[in-house]
Amino acid sequence: MPPQPRPLGGQSPPVEQAPACGVDPAKLCQGEYAIRVKSHIAVLAAPLLTGCGGRHSWLAGAGAEARIIETLFWPFLFGAAVLWLAVMALAIAAFRSRREETRGLVRAIIIGGGAIVPGIIVAALLVIGLVTLRALAAMQPGLSVQVDGEQWWWRVVYDTPAGAVVTANEIRLPRGETAELLLSSDDVIHAFWAPALGGKMDMIPGRTNRLTLTPLTPGSWGGLCAEYCGGAHAQMRFDVTVMEPAAFGDWLAAEAEPASAQALARQDGLSVFLDSGCGACHSVRGTEAAGQVGPDLTHFAARQRLGAGIAPLTDAALRRWITRTQDMKPGVEMPAYPDLSPEALDALVGFLMALK
Amino acid sequence: MTYPRLIDDGSVWIVVIPPVIWAAHFLTCYWVAAVWCASGAAPLTPVVWAIAAITVAALGGIGWAAVVAVRRYGGLRRPGRHVSRDEPEGRKAFLGHVALLLASLNGVAVLFTALPVLVFRQC
Ligand code: HEC
Ligand SMILES: [Cu+2]
Repeated sequence: MPPQPRPLGGQSPPVEQAPACGVDPAKLCQGEYAIRVKSHIAVLAAPLLTGCGGRHSWLAGAGAEARIIETLFWPFLFGAAVLWLAVMALAIAAFRSRREETRGLVRAIIIGGGAIVPGIIVAALLVIGLVTLRALAAMQPGLSVQVDGEQWWWRVVYDTPAGAVVTANEIRLPRGETAELLLSSDDVIHAFWAPALGGKMDMIPGRTNRLTLTPLTPGSWGGLCAEYCGGAHAQMRFDVTVMEPAAFGDWLAAEAEPASAQALARQDGLSVFLDSGCGACHSVRGTEAAGQVGPDLTHFAARQRLGAGIAPLTDAALRRWITRTQDMKPGVEMPAYPDLSPEALDALVGFLMALK
Repeated sequence: MTYPRLIDDGSVWIVVIPPVIWAAHFLTCYWVAAVWCASGAAPLTPVVWAIAAITVAALGGIGWAAVVAVRRYGGLRRPGRHVSRDEPEGRKAFLGHVALLLASLNGVAVLFTALPVLVFRQC
């Protein structure tokens, strides 16, 4: 095999493919070792760097609140870096110092560097932080959305002049408008966090916490539960879909409607749904299913993801969800239905996917 | 020696007073704001004045403790003097020193506690 140029970073190919480095494939020559180390650093750094882009990045600037927080982050980071460098420089200077009489200097460093300078810095940070908080609290909302954390999904209720519109696991918001999220919980403490759009807020049983989001960039942004809440906590996710205001209005009007006629026309699927007892936990408005334990499924197929944001909503994923629920989301509070006949499953999936 | 010695020379109480004032100030501020906000979202102005008054009182108390401490310590700075033996003079100076440091720390802490009401105008 001819020697191949090896790319730095990323996954390095197995050692055997590099005959240039000697007869024994188990031994690495020096250059090889350096490349190895570099690629390991790259592998270690990759998760850190991927945090800087994409749907979950709080540096994406997709919301006014996220931008306010970002303006706080850079000065803090800069200040911390300057302090760190100063302390390191001082430490090096102390190691190298050959001075005999240092008592006065030590006293100055302890009083200045130990009390006065930190006091001033902490006071400044406090004031900047408070001013930021005040800016966040001053946003005036035009839309009110109630979000309840449940183990391990999100109940979403839009408060509209025509009444409450119930949905789940996906929050749609109009671009450029401030929405007020009223956060609560029915079981344990959860925390609501859509990093690209704004701050993080706890959801506490018996309390309502208020968080505003002012999305600026249309798109689909990711969110997650940020407070450990039990077994499936890591799979408690959601989407925030930011739409143009007109499209949002249309969506909200459609969401307020009962299930579509196309779905209700799928008689056999609907009867599998009702006969299997799904309606004890799930609501599909326009049918007799009115359960409140699980997510509202009236417009289930209009969502992009399944099972509180854990998988893209496809036919195959939905089949797996129904037949092997625990495998997909260990700990989930929905029973699996492994014993549905293939025909019944086909009909049921067809019905659910028609719930646009 | 007669007991209880409250605030006379050599007593440890002077060390305890500044932190106690800080704690009382912290708790009172919390209570005032919580009670006011729970009874309706009225303007915050009375709370601001109440907390300002409590803060001035707390700083006064801590200042007084600091003055006593300075007197015990024998000045603001006493470089070069060491307490090496167990004698009343040294004890008094040591407690004065500790009390003085605590008083300055708690003075700053009281100010930090009061800062938010100056920034926020609503509950
Ligand atoms: C004991 C109550 C219960 C029963 C019965 C039940 N479910 Fe569920 N279901 C839940 C809960 C709770 C969730 C939320 C799980 C999670 O994401 O953690 C859920 C989630 C779902 C979801 C995903 C919803 C979303 O927004 O992603 C679908 C689809 C679903 N169930 C379909 C069914 C079907 C079909 C049946 C009947 C065959 C059924 N469920 C029976 C409780 C139930
Ligand atoms: Cu959680």
